Amino acid sequence: MLIVKNITKQREFRTFLFLLVLFVSVGMVNVDYLSLENLHNSLQSSLLYIVLSIGMTFVLLTGRIDISVGGILGLSAAVSGIYLRDGGSIVIAVIIAILVGGFVGLLNGLGTTKLKIPSFIMTLGMLEITRVIQVIYTEGLWVENLPVSFKNISQMEIFGINLLALIVITCVILIHLYLSKTKKGRYFKAIGDNEDGAVLLGIHVKRYVIISFVVSGVCSAVAGLIFASQIGFVSTTAGSGIEMTVIAATVLGGVSLSGGIGSVIGAGIGAIIITSINSALVFMKVPAFWNDAISGSLLIIIVVFDALIARRDAKKAKKERLNARVLQEEVSA
Amino acid sequence: MLNRIPKWNLTLAIVLIMEIIVFGLVNPRFWNITVLLNSFNDFIPIAIVGFFLTMVVITGGIDISFGSIIGLTSVVAGLLSQIVGLNIWLSVILAILSGGLCGLLNGILIAYGGVQAMVITLGGMLLYSGIAIVLVGLSGVSSYEGITGFPDSFGQIAHGNFLGIPNSVTAFIVMFIMAYLLLHRTKYGRYIFLTGINKNAADYSGIDTRKIMTSTYVLSGLSAGVAGVILTSYLGSARADFGAEYLMPILTVVVLGGTLITGGKGGVVGTALASITIGFLQLGLQMGGVSTQNIGLVTGLLLIISVAFLGISSDFRIKVKRMLIPKKVKWR
Repeated sequence: MLIVKNITKQREFRTFLFLLVLFVSVGMVNVDYLSLENLHNSLQSSLLYIVLSIGMTFVLLTGRIDISVGGILGLSAAVSGIYLRDGGSIVIAVIIAILVGGFVGLLNGLGTTKLKIPSFIMTLGMLEITRVIQVIYTEGLWVENLPVSFKNISQMEIFGINLLALIVITCVILIHLYLSKTKKGRYFKAIGDNEDGAVLLGIHVKRYVIISFVVSGVCSAVAGLIFASQIGFVSTTAGSGIEMTVIAATVLGGVSLSGGIGSVIGAGIGAIIITSINSALVFMKVPAFWNDAISGSLLIIIVVFDALIARRDAKKAKKERLNARVLQEEVSA
Repeated sequence: MLNRIPKWNLTLAIVLIMEIIVFGLVNPRFWNITVLLNSFNDFIPIAIVGFFLTMVVITGGIDISFGSIIGLTSVVAGLLSQIVGLNIWLSVILAILSGGLCGLLNGILIAYGGVQAMVITLGGMLLYSGIAIVLVGLSGVSSYEGITGFPDSFGQIAHGNFLGIPNSVTAFIVMFIMAYLLLHRTKYGRYIFLTGINKNAADYSGIDTRKIMTSTYVLSGLSAGVAGVILTSYLGSARADFGAEYLMPILTVVVLGGTLITGGKGGVVGTALASITIGFLQLGLQMGGVSTQNIGLVTGLLLIISVAFLGISSDFRIKVKRMLIPKKVKWR
């Protein structure tokens, strides 16, 4: 019973509940939505966002933000895409993408920690810079004619489930365990919760912030590979505007923008919610132009609701603490 | 007299003069005063929103929904005048007010709901552009072409002249003076600064910081509305995706103008200088033959470098000074 109670108290549980409500209520309008095939499809189309939201969670946990994910996605997809198109091997293409993403992430991290540029500004500038470099590198053309073997990766299946989906889900669980169970993994949360406190504890704050940006860069690069593999080409605008969707998904999943609160599992569920809303609208035969309005108002409603709950909890905790103090004084008197 | 002007503004002014000299040497057409004045058309929306976004940033908040509000007001103005058939000036006023309404929603949720400004305006960004798209979709106008067919008098807002000075320059000056007076010459402006410096202290000294914060978002929304109307007039059609590409330039202008992104410090003069500097920079680069895509690289680098420069702590500065200037040896 205790375990059940603990799970229901978790913030991720609320997000998961919302996902269930979304699926069931859309399923009542159109039964096809609850078919296994569609569930599989929604998972597959949200893979990109899940991977991006893993990296975003690392950065948000430390109390920073990364706006440049879309730019890194486009750049790394374009660079490794051109390499693949010219007959390169897939393994090296993956390594190239990860190096590009990691390098841009490193620059972001160094800028925010060493030069003390607010992360919002640093990554916003980096977004613009990576976009321009992508256009210069590809000479403004789309990267097309990717090899079939590369495109097939996103279609491979094991036990009827998409291979990439399996890998991503395992990674999410492993990263969740790393962030919540290991000592070093908990440092990220500690930094976001109280940076001065983390310094006093002897945590190398700058190093962990840089690591979080590098992780985010690498995740964006991997997402770029998934994008290229699923879509089959890399346009010059690949991943533009995606950063806001990813931040929205991560926040929906319960990761606080002020740092210190949240988990990758929640962020992943948030990513599934955001992509499911779009497909749900299709199944409910709502015209596509409602997409943004609905996801925007849902985001606002959920975040405000969540803030109100959090504030009530904080008030309650304060009251309890106050009561406990009064009791103690009576005892001593 | 000189030391009363903030150093950063002086730097910007010097950069601006340097730009005019250098670009003029590269391409003498740059020194043509009509070309320079007409180039205001290209960055007038950036400057107008920038002035009032500066206030939001000074209170310690941020607003990234203005791009969508620009698109929304554009669509509202177009729908009311062309589809509903209202008088063009009445629909313009209603459109600007709708921008203010969006700002009011942002402000109330942020100040009274206690939610982070980034999240709310992020949701607002999706929501307002979503509403604009829905409005276009419901009216049956092709979203690709946008709503066209505005009367000539409306086009005069952006294309007209007043005493030989383009209207965009007049609009720039008028909005600048309004923002300057509001922020630097009134009690309200001082309250904005106080809220940004220390919100709790401001609260204890009897300032209703929630009202102050909400009002800055309303002003930012209204200014985005004005920018949307001017943009619609300039381009002659109303579309939902106007303003989407303004997110980055407007933030750049505010930050480059010397306003701290963490709040409490900044000013409208810096924003004005920064917007002219960037506007002339883009014009000059174009005239100098740099392709349009590479200009984004320049503005991105400019943003990062300027903030890095502004954000360098005084400790670091002293350290560098010590390294550069050798210690004086005392002789007894």
